[in-house]
Amino acid sequence: METPHFDHLTSQDYEHVYEPAEDSFLLLDALEADLPFLNGLQPRLCVEIGSGSGIIITALSKQLANTSLCLATDINPKACDATRRTARHNGGRVDSVNCNLADVLRKRLVDVLLFNPPYVVTSDDELQCQMFGPGSAGESNLSTERNLVYSWAGGKDGRRVTDTLIQQLDDILSPLGVLYLLLLRENKPNEIIKRLDSLRFKAVKFMERRIPGEYLYILKVTRLPS
Amino acid sequence: MKLSTYNFLTSMAIKGVKVGFPLKLTISKKELVETEFNPTFVERLLPKLDWSAVYGAAQVAELAEDIPAVQPESIVDNEQLLQKLHHLLFEIDVLEGQLECPETGRIFPITDGIPNMLLNEDEV
Repeated sequence: METPHFDHLTSQDYEHVYEPAEDSFLLLDALEADLPFLNGLQPRLCVEIGSGSGIIITALSKQLANTSLCLATDINPKACDATRRTARHNGGRVDSVNCNLADVLRKRLVDVLLFNPPYVVTSDDELQCQMFGPGSAGESNLSTERNLVYSWAGGKDGRRVTDTLIQQLDDILSPLGVLYLLLLRENKPNEIIKRLDSLRFKAVKFMERRIPGEYLYILKVTRLPS
Repeated sequence: MKLSTYNFLTSMAIKGVKVGFPLKLTISKKELVETEFNPTFVERLLPKLDWSAVYGAAQVAELAEDIPAVQPESIVDNEQLLQKLHHLLFEIDVLEGQLECPETGRIFPITDGIPNMLLNEDEV
């Protein structure tokens, strides 16, 4: 799987949008390693939540050219725009929707879900203040700092957003759907695996990697056979 | 926003909204993007699509004469219809327009091809 070009994104973009880094590349590597599974799954709808620069969903869209519909969501309008540009720049086909998680999608239709969540452990107060501070949704009200904060601030255990997504997962994934979720050791992956099991999902540590200052995992999550 | 994407969008995240689908689509500016036709993919995607929203999109895109109002039982051998569906779903990119919640009338603008479906805190 080719890493998409992102030389069209500038330092100005990275003031608002998360710059591809080791975590992004780990998710790309995991998808590449799991291509035999993905090819067998023949996904029709692939969605990345919080697509940021858009390199991951663009890479997948190139890989699945003309055989799958690829959508990207992000709460940050600048990220939606960056994703759209990255897809175009690389000849991928990705539609961007500016929304929270997968809130706007009809239920149980997503075959491949990708999520590199805001995973950094921060105080909840900080997260609340950043996310629901003065002003409300809408580009004009979102300060630069708040846009970027969405991309990394994870609240307690770095899990606030991840926990919300997991709670909604049954409504999002199609019967054969799969989620690839990036986690940090501090997010307590084993706790998340147990939580998923109680919600009738099978989660395995599909890939892991030590990078300077962080230890990262990719969880692969599918439904338990009923 | 492609009209295939449109088929998956709902406003059910709004407090009190039951279905929120199909959203009422308005197109004020669109672009045609030629893409490779893969009849197998169009056919495989159909079970995930809501035909009434496919037909609704065709009406808004002024392609209603291409698309039957009721989904045909089988279109696997109907290459002509598959081609028309491909054009409708994958080649029309809505650049400017809006989506409207069918239950509350809440408007979601589409700007530069991106629907803004963010909700305010008091709407969820």
